[in-house]
Amino acid sequence: MSKLAFHSPYSMKKTYSIRRIVSTIGWIFITIYGILTIYPLFWLILSSFKSNAQFFSEPFALPNQWMFDNFITAWTTSKMGVAFRNSTLVSIIALLFTLLLSGLTSYVLARFNFKLKGLTMLFFVVGMLIPIHSTLVPLFILMKQLSILNSYWALILPYTAFALPTAIFILTAYLSTIPKEIEEAAYIDGTSLWGVFFRIMLPISLPALSTVSILTFLHSWNDFSFALVFISKSTLKTLPLAVSNFADGFQTDYSLTLAAMTLSVIPTIIVFLLFQEQVMKGMTAGAVKG
Amino acid sequence: MNSATVKRFIAVALAPSLILYSLFVFVPVIWSAYYSLFNWSGIGQAAFIGLQNYKELLSDSIFWHSLGNNVIFVLASVLGQVPLALLLAIILYKSNALQRFLRAAVFMPMVLSTVVIGLIWNYVYHPQIGILNFLLDALNLSALKMEWLSDPDIAIFSLIPPLIWSFVGLYLIIFISALQNIPGELDDAAKIDGAKGFTKLFKITLPMIWGTIQVALILCIAGSLKSFDLVYIMTRGGPAHATELLATYMYNATFSTFRYGYGSTISTAIVIISLLLIGTSQWLTSRRK
Amino acid sequence: MFKAAKLGLVGILIVVLLAACGSNSSSDGSTNKSTEKITLTIWNNWSGQDAKAVAMRKILEDFQSENPNITLEIEALATDGLKTRLRTAAAADEMPDLFVMWPGAMTKEFVQGDLLQPINEFLDQNAEWKNNFIENALVDFTVEDNIYSVPMNLAPSSLLYYNEDLFKQYNVKVPTTWDELLQAVDTFNANNIIPIALGNKANWVAQSTTFSTIGDRVTGTEWFLKAVDQSGASFTDPEFIEALKLYQELGEAKAYQEGFNSIDENQMLQLYTQGKAAMVINGGWAVAGLVNTASEEILNATNITILPTVDGGKGAAKTTAGVVGTGLGVNKKLSGAKKDAAMKLFYALAGPDGQKATLESSTLISYNLELDPSKANPLFIKLTELMKETKIVPVYDSKLSSAAVEAINNGLQELLLGGDPEDIAKRIQAAQAGAVN
Repeated sequence: MSKLAFHSPYSMKKTYSIRRIVSTIGWIFITIYGILTIYPLFWLILSSFKSNAQFFSEPFALPNQWMFDNFITAWTTSKMGVAFRNSTLVSIIALLFTLLLSGLTSYVLARFNFKLKGLTMLFFVVGMLIPIHSTLVPLFILMKQLSILNSYWALILPYTAFALPTAIFILTAYLSTIPKEIEEAAYIDGTSLWGVFFRIMLPISLPALSTVSILTFLHSWNDFSFALVFISKSTLKTLPLAVSNFADGFQTDYSLTLAAMTLSVIPTIIVFLLFQEQVMKGMTAGAVKG
Repeated sequence: MNSATVKRFIAVALAPSLILYSLFVFVPVIWSAYYSLFNWSGIGQAAFIGLQNYKELLSDSIFWHSLGNNVIFVLASVLGQVPLALLLAIILYKSNALQRFLRAAVFMPMVLSTVVIGLIWNYVYHPQIGILNFLLDALNLSALKMEWLSDPDIAIFSLIPPLIWSFVGLYLIIFISALQNIPGELDDAAKIDGAKGFTKLFKITLPMIWGTIQVALILCIAGSLKSFDLVYIMTRGGPAHATELLATYMYNATFSTFRYGYGSTISTAIVIISLLLIGTSQWLTSRRK
Repeated sequence: MFKAAKLGLVGILIVVLLAACGSNSSSDGSTNKSTEKITLTIWNNWSGQDAKAVAMRKILEDFQSENPNITLEIEALATDGLKTRLRTAAAADEMPDLFVMWPGAMTKEFVQGDLLQPINEFLDQNAEWKNNFIENALVDFTVEDNIYSVPMNLAPSSLLYYNEDLFKQYNVKVPTTWDELLQAVDTFNANNIIPIALGNKANWVAQSTTFSTIGDRVTGTEWFLKAVDQSGASFTDPEFIEALKLYQELGEAKAYQEGFNSIDENQMLQLYTQGKAAMVINGGWAVAGLVNTASEEILNATNITILPTVDGGKGAAKTTAGVVGTGLGVNKKLSGAKKDAAMKLFYALAGPDGQKATLESSTLISYNLELDPSKANPLFIKLTELMKETKIVPVYDSKLSSAAVEAINNGLQELLLGGDPEDIAKRIQAAQAGAVN
């Protein structure tokens, strides 16, 4: 905020100062909106230190007593260590698959002309429209036939497959805004198509790839339905299942649930911040090429 | 480069995505469409009944009511999320500390589990200790106090602010990555021409990212037609189906009332309706040159 | 620039590694020749920190250490999750060896899907155990003379918990008749106390905790069972509509706090434990929640009784809606040594020792066993005393088809919002008729 207030000490023009006031008011509103959107994170963290009784009686107050034990109990009783390992493994591999596969597909769809191109695109778009609960039973039967139930594959493959449509969609749209001259020189130099893909297309798609990474990672990290149905070995459980363990049919232990959620949200925030920087770095790459 | 090499490359590059996607997304969808021709509880024998389920669907008032609610959600998202995200993206796409913080802040609801979002908004709307009614009292506006989530006439509208608020971040990062891609020279050219503020916005920025806006619209329509989590957690589709959506209705049919065939019918309808809506939106927003 | 290519390579490497370690993780224990090593899978909903879940997990642990030749693969999920998982696994015929199974509709469905095996023989071998269950305990696990499980707890679903201090303070009589209930509602409303707390967001609450009992009071159990079978009674009969109207009357008297359709069972109980509500109508399971979250003061003032009688109703006195609790389903495919092992575990969990452990975790059981008062919370002792003189009548959702349950749950939300009882009755009737025929 301070940066804005001191923006231009020399400007004495009236129009300018009115603009400054308007812009300051605008910034104040946006900042308030920002605080409203980040507040739930603070609420989550604060609530995870409360006792169950206080969670209900004073949902918005500071904890009367900081219950660090909530975290220890949640971590040990729900075997969150194992769940963390599983979630990390599954999410990262699904992410790598998604980036590689959607990158290749989008390169082809954005840069080459071939028969059935429109149909291929439409085929993938349909994938964004599927309410996943309707696929649970068919997928379960399919994976039973492939004998991959109760393995990491039972999550990695569907996570990747369901992330592909959105990823391809975003990447193709992004690539088609980039002028073709960029890779044409490389073709003349005799670089192979694979070379162009790995050395030119992937790096220039960095902002879009980062967006896709954030979405894909979030999606697999937070997925509950697939993890619930396709995995029945407790050693392969992912975090959302571990988090849901503190509820029986009639009652939810909120202090433990929220403590577990607080722990499991940390990696997603880190991933978001990391990739957001990459989205921003895209700007400098763009400036260099311009 | 000869065309055989290119052809081979196209085939090899597309194959893995196509196979994986077909097997794990497309096959289950067709499979589910096939179940929609059966009367099946999900266990044991299924009876083929042709298009009977579709006939029932067309005369099912809860289905139409849910579709209406989905249309409200689509409109709210298209008119709420996309413009708000675009505005924020234009303001926040540079990188000083405040902008960075705000970008992260706006995205944060996307990161959190829907359970947390639902809990918080339930406390905002809570009939006894809710913040909203408390604020209205404090501002001497007690007359505006309502039973936000339990009055069937307004419950669906009470769900719109949490809906918009949770997903703006998604479109924000999509728009920001598009804005980053506007070449620097174009920006400079605009400066020399003296194009400023709104002129620049409408003459240069918006046309440059028009493709991305279309992408966002499609994501938005697709997302709101299959939306499930927020409503399932906040109202369970109630009271008395007042906030039922196609996806929550489908889930209930499949997993609560054990009408698997009928549930599949609803989900097939969701896909068909989405395709129609997206086709329409493409047609409306395509730029005719 | 090579960063991306490297990343791709790393990705491929990981895939290869994973393929290598993935192949040995899918070994299956179903083809055991010798009696040596047996693997049993058991799916349950004992995932929480509540006393009952802890007690059940303890039994599983002990069983594991006493039977080194049996490997237990235990999968604990929250209740909603377990139900969804069971549905999917049932559709694909991939059931676990043993699983927590609900009486009534679920048991029937699974039997029709040919997924379960009866346990009659096993029960007859242990006649003393079998005969010690309370009256009618096995009915909801019985399909066509075959018994498929035994209840591991008992769930009266409809008890009136009330705050004696508030009743004394405002000089209100604890209601034993419908008029007294309405009187109490009026008095508490006049004094700005919520008469009855209700959280009906998950819409089974009003049906299970309140309406099932009111319905029975008005129509009698016999009528209800006939209507369930659709033989000789219909939900459009005048007595059922009268029951709906009576319940609507309670709503119109503002017995519930504002916005009751938007808060959940947790929040409902909290309105009571914070002293904002004078009464809450909830199942026997609520004792655990009250003991955990209510202050000493509220807890000591809390007493339990059954819902008031209805003048001119056909229902028996001293009853409350309820259902015998969950049991264990036994997979049809089990045989030989594996089946023996499964039944051994079954007996450990649902046999006399398991029932005792359940009772000692402050959970009611459908098995005749005396509670050791030194091991129980005072409120739980009050509950067991009350249940000794109270008979269970069927809670609606344990008997009706799932489509009719959905219709009545939504119908009651609508009823309390001012909906037309006759319309609602028609929909319930249509749903039940559709499911039975």
